[in-house]
Amino acid sequence: MEALAVKNIVKKFPNVLANDNVSLSIEKGEIFAIVGENGAGKSTLMKIVYGLYTPNSGEIFVFGNKEDIKNSHDAIKLKIGMVHQEFMLIPRFTVTENIVLGDEPKKGVVFDYKRAVLEVKELSEKFGLKINPTEKVENLSVGIQQRVEILKILRRGAEILILDEPTAVLTPQETEELFKTLNALKQNGKTIIFISHKLGEVMEIADRVAVMRRGKVQGVVNKPDTSEKELAKMMVGRDVVLEVPQVKVEKGKVVFSVSGLTVKNTRGIIGLKNVSFEVYSGEIVGIAGVEGNGQAELVNAILGFLKPINGKIYMGMEEMKFITPYNMRTRGMSYITEDRKRRGLVLPFKARENVIMGQHSLYPFSNKGILNNQAIDEFVTKKLEEFDVRPPNGYIKAESFSGGNQQKIILAREMSMKHSFLLASQPTRGLDVGATEFVYKILVEEKKKSKGVLLISLELSEIMGLSDRILVLYGGEIVGEVMPSETTEEEIGLMMLGLKRKERVEQ
Amino acid sequence: MNILNQSLAQMLDFAAPILFAALGGVITENGGVVNIALDGIMRFAAFFGVWGASVSKSPWVGLLWGIGIGILVGAFHAYITVKWAGNQIVSGVAINVVAVGIITYFLELIFKTTGYSPTVPYFGSAVNRISIPFISNIPILGAFSNLTIFVWLSLFLVFGLNFLLYRTVLGLRIRSVGENPIAAETLGINVFKVKWFSTIAGAVLAALGGMALSIGSLSSFTNSMPAGKGFIALAAMIFGRWTPFGAMWASFLFASAQVLQFILQATAKGIASKIPVGFYLSLPYFLTIGALIGVVGKAVGPAADGVPYKKEG
Repeated sequence: MEALAVKNIVKKFPNVLANDNVSLSIEKGEIFAIVGENGAGKSTLMKIVYGLYTPNSGEIFVFGNKEDIKNSHDAIKLKIGMVHQEFMLIPRFTVTENIVLGDEPKKGVVFDYKRAVLEVKELSEKFGLKINPTEKVENLSVGIQQRVEILKILRRGAEILILDEPTAVLTPQETEELFKTLNALKQNGKTIIFISHKLGEVMEIADRVAVMRRGKVQGVVNKPDTSEKELAKMMVGRDVVLEVPQVKVEKGKVVFSVSGLTVKNTRGIIGLKNVSFEVYSGEIVGIAGVEGNGQAELVNAILGFLKPINGKIYMGMEEMKFITPYNMRTRGMSYITEDRKRRGLVLPFKARENVIMGQHSLYPFSNKGILNNQAIDEFVTKKLEEFDVRPPNGYIKAESFSGGNQQKIILAREMSMKHSFLLASQPTRGLDVGATEFVYKILVEEKKKSKGVLLISLELSEIMGLSDRILVLYGGEIVGEVMPSETTEEEIGLMMLGLKRKERVEQ
Repeated sequence: MNILNQSLAQMLDFAAPILFAALGGVITENGGVVNIALDGIMRFAAFFGVWGASVSKSPWVGLLWGIGIGILVGAFHAYITVKWAGNQIVSGVAINVVAVGIITYFLELIFKTTGYSPTVPYFGSAVNRISIPFISNIPILGAFSNLTIFVWLSLFLVFGLNFLLYRTVLGLRIRSVGENPIAAETLGINVFKVKWFSTIAGAVLAALGGMALSIGSLSSFTNSMPAGKGFIALAAMIFGRWTPFGAMWASFLFASAQVLQFILQATAKGIASKIPVGFYLSLPYFLTIGALIGVVGKAVGPAADGVPYKKEG
């Protein structure tokens, strides 16, 4: 039986054709994955099904009936539920309040909170999703918050569950839990639409996979008949080689180093303990580690956002006495941020403003405090083309670009600044295959240009593939220093969990 | 009546206008609309209440007129900020500025006076007060023996609004809209309807605050009304962390400063008596600033307060 079908859906946005004649048919009781790069139109399609966007043309069929879904209210009535990429939760409300909002049990006008708590308890038992109904959502981990979201839509009687990039924010353990839940819901006869760009996960959980690229459906395949590699090829439109060619570059002099760095984090806990290392020109130093083991403290200390209680930071041979982003940058640091939206870009600003920010006061971008628009436009046009930003239009706001293109805007800016040292903090976080590949290419190019790169990443494969030298952070300490050619992922994995230490390699 | 009861009663009297307006701020801002128009709405209602009472010779009709203008101004604020997702500060400032000009003009146009309106029947007169003689000599309780209907109403509304916000379905929805309107929308809540309601309800409460200054306690309108009380109410709302009871205690605190100002002025001896009156008059305002400096940094309002809501796509 067909649970949901979309036929010839077209959705245009001012600068982009987000859905170009999309047709899909989804069976009841299956887990149907939609994969595609950021900006391929997956989320747009699902927002149309959920009534948040109105399509320019096309039809939607729910359980065989043609439906006109004007808003989310209509979608809920048709038993369609959606877990959004950014959770639609109210942190200051309790789990129960969040779940029943909009359809509250009541006595007259009074909100019957006790009955609501009972209902939520029953619901959580019925589907085996454990939660504490009276806990405030702001105190919950992301994985549990997602559980609240799923319960919320189940309570509305959802038969078709849409999950938009549900694993993007989860730890591997939480992802495993989620998959168990999804399989249990499938056993319950629910239909699940799973949107993702992580192909490994799709191959694990989905029954069928639809691949989207630039607003079009490239094809629908049964899982047993396909492979990660094939999916990647369909997604990007060509063969994807995520293995990085090993480039050997002659190591030069030290461009950046820290010695004995000890940092307290904002909660007053020592987050980084006596850390020392050097980064030479022409090498990529990878920092491996599970999130929360001192990466944030290291980055913030280098930027001057946290004042170290001990230790020194050097740019080249010069000790940095007064550490601010400005001072670090004028001494030759570039920085790819771990959080594009909060640190990397001023979202409501245009791409052109974001590209020149930081060098806006320099010639030729400005003269005596007056911006030279012609020089800026010329430069930005060149850079957007060079970094393959799509669309290559500097007058679009940064927030309107997809994640991958936002990252390219940041790269365009950071690479164009004069630098000898690149701090790359989780540069591929949340990026799809194509954009990730692009970032890798840039990092290798940096190395070829004899810059020193400090690469902080949570993806072990990335660290292994790119680094010339790997440092492992655990509990704020460097517990090992290894060469990628002389180690295995397993060994580093053990060090990341604090189960193994390894002496530093002699330089 | 002893001095304690007298001071307490006076404090409740001073607190009422601030409290009404602060409660108005609480409901509006819990619905996600910033309401700096409190002061202007108070001024509108203070005048219209007196006008209505003067036309009809009944304070009750004045009350209705005041509420009516509250609804109108609130609807204007909602039209700009909810319907058109306009800037809430700009709309609020506009209302405040218009209130100053237009009411001064109306005062001259209608009563042919400057500064003061003629006296009208009011709720503060001896006959209209709610007298409970047998408690008048009991300490503390005695403060409640001879209050106006406005003071009582302001106290009841604290409980009423608390019930509305935290115990009813509507209250839950108002708060959800102020915290995360997109989440509320995805659950099928009509965000615009809720915002219209909370904005107009808040304006009506502020209007009651304005009338508490004029026909609620005095027999006339003076052109200096409300003398910044709307902004003190805004401070009380923040100080009270956007909750009805918090707003009540904050209003009591600010009103106590006003009472203290009178007591200090009256009892000043020696050098203290040489301190200019202006200093004492400004005490409540200094206290407001002080309280806010101490608290505002930490006070966190509704998450989506002040963010215009537009439907996407």
